[in-house]
Amino acid sequence: MKKTTAIMLLLTLGISLVFATGAKEVTARPEVVKLQVWYAISGASGEQFLALAKAFDASRPDIELELTYSGSYADTATKVSAALLSGDEPDAAIMAAGQLYTGGRGDFSMEDLVKDADFNVNDIFKGMLEYGMFEGRVAAVPYGISSQVLYYNKDITDAAGLDLEKSPPTTWAQFFTVAKTAMERGNVQRSPDFFGFDTSDGVWLFKSMLGQNGNEVVRKVGDRVRPVFQETSGVEVGTFWKSLVDANVMPAGQHNNAEKKFLAGNLAFIAASSNRVARWKDNTNFALGAIVMPGFKNRSIALGGNVGVILTSDQYKRDASWQLLKYLLEEENHTEFALSTGYLPVRKSAQTGAVVREALASNPLYKVAFDQLENAWAYYHFQEMGTMDAFFWYALDEIEKGVSSVEVALAKAAASLEKEIE
Amino acid sequence: MARTLKKINIPVFLILLAGSVVMVFPFVWMILSAFKTVPDVYTYPPRWLPSSWKLTNYQKVFQMIPFARYYFNSIFTSSAQTAIQLALSVTAAYALVVLHFPGRRFLYTVIRSTMFVPTVVTLIPLYLLVSKARMIDTYAGIILPQVFAAFTIFLLVSFFSSIPPILFDSAKLDGCGYYRILSEVVIPNAKSPISTAMLFSFLGHWKSYTWPLIVTNKAKYRTLPIGMKYLVQESSSEYQIMMAASVMAILPVLIVYLFFEKQLVKSITLTGLKA
Repeated sequence: MKKTTAIMLLLTLGISLVFATGAKEVTARPEVVKLQVWYAISGASGEQFLALAKAFDASRPDIELELTYSGSYADTATKVSAALLSGDEPDAAIMAAGQLYTGGRGDFSMEDLVKDADFNVNDIFKGMLEYGMFEGRVAAVPYGISSQVLYYNKDITDAAGLDLEKSPPTTWAQFFTVAKTAMERGNVQRSPDFFGFDTSDGVWLFKSMLGQNGNEVVRKVGDRVRPVFQETSGVEVGTFWKSLVDANVMPAGQHNNAEKKFLAGNLAFIAASSNRVARWKDNTNFALGAIVMPGFKNRSIALGGNVGVILTSDQYKRDASWQLLKYLLEEENHTEFALSTGYLPVRKSAQTGAVVREALASNPLYKVAFDQLENAWAYYHFQEMGTMDAFFWYALDEIEKGVSSVEVALAKAAASLEKEIE
Repeated sequence: MARTLKKINIPVFLILLAGSVVMVFPFVWMILSAFKTVPDVYTYPPRWLPSSWKLTNYQKVFQMIPFARYYFNSIFTSSAQTAIQLALSVTAAYALVVLHFPGRRFLYTVIRSTMFVPTVVTLIPLYLLVSKARMIDTYAGIILPQVFAAFTIFLLVSFFSSIPPILFDSAKLDGCGYYRILSEVVIPNAKSPISTAMLFSFLGHWKSYTWPLIVTNKAKYRTLPIGMKYLVQESSSEYQIMMAASVMAILPVLIVYLFFEKQLVKSITLTGLKA
């Protein structure tokens, strides 16, 4: 009797286990997979993204999108951080530094996803793919990517007798002379607040310049990331930066006003995001020009912008999220997004497409942004890269205002970063 | 006319006039910019009037965001937060001034010290609490975590303390309990500071951005500041659209101010506060 009972119990247990595991395995995919997608893109770019996402939603009856604007890049970072702690995270997101929230948490599943034959990862520009990496591994896909472009006010350069279409400066040393000339001879509005050059994002430009001078910004040494921007090649860049301020070509600590100043016609040159190509076209009171960014030892350009990430752990939602990202990055869709927003096409094939050719014909400034794509460069992405930008910001402010020497300011920033990494 | 002019202190009048111009200038600029194009906004020297008066910026606002819904949400949440905050603050201040319970001073110090804690520090813990309480994407999630305001309690305690204690004693002799003293002695004597607190509170909640953004995902719960942020891109140059939205957004604040203007001015003269 005891034996029969034991066998019965074992059988019951076995059957339960089979059903239990079986139930897990055969959990059917819901008829409609609902995806929560957060996006940190606003204004006209946000509208364009929404139109594409809604088109995907309409084309896929098996997937339903709930799209949420998550605020600026910084707001989105806070929102996602809080949501991850409480388990309320979205299934997918378009955000800046998204790889910190996937790769930074040990999730490199994007590495396998990008191998999808339909995705054709080899068609993505190398620098752009690197932009979505975390510690050297793919953790996000590039989406709204931009680089800095050197725009100029043609009315000013014409008045200064500069022909930038014929002989654009190719090095920063040449640019210094050009900007100084524009400053001395091009103040057509006779404004007391007139300058030769400024940038709306000093840290971004400084990092580009570091790359151009052969400085990697940070380097992985063993299992640790170490700052290298304080080395001689970094100090050389900082010294050039300081020379712009000393010669009064660039105002000290006024980067937040650079764009307003440029649009008001009180700045000859500005290094600003390539997404201004679309926004400023036909919207300035002066003839707008653009040239490829000068360089030091090379012409590499640091990328900026947002990436696509998958944050959910639910397999069906992950699959659906990947379908969405793949759709957004299809050549035709992404090119449409890029051209109407001013972000850069991430696919090499877009360059030769009819849509791009048409865009180049209607707005030649695109050519400058596209020409720079081959030089696109992303430094090694790591957990504290946001904090590093803050240290750069302090260092540049100190350099510009003469609070510290270039060597001291950069060494201080490097020491602070080392401490933060520890 | 000559007699009126004689009565006016001309230098003081001129200084006040200059001050008024400085104060009014941003509003006028905002209203005019709402009709401008991008080149109009950035032209140098600045141009006062738009090159052509167009309503396209207003149209864009309505095309890009569900403005009416956001407007309603902002009015509803700001009004509810202000009402709850005032009810809590008035009773708290009253208790701290009139009731002599043990630990009163310590409690008041704790309340005041919360004024020095930056909001960003409490943001994530507060979010976790709200998430645990399943209040994400609810009006309660927007309203309740923002109703405690140390500054309002501090403001009211300062004023309630200046009410002569003899008034409370007289009311007690007349048979009033604590609630009647509050409603018939304290509140009627403190209309001005309560109005000021109300205005400050409403203004603070009206422009609140980060918290509503963090705790809402659905458009039907979102408020106006989030919608306004969506109108412009990162480092955007399209201020004219933002200005059109701002013109519409300031109306409730102006209405609240017009309603409480007299009380507010009186409060400023009594307490020396600057609005």
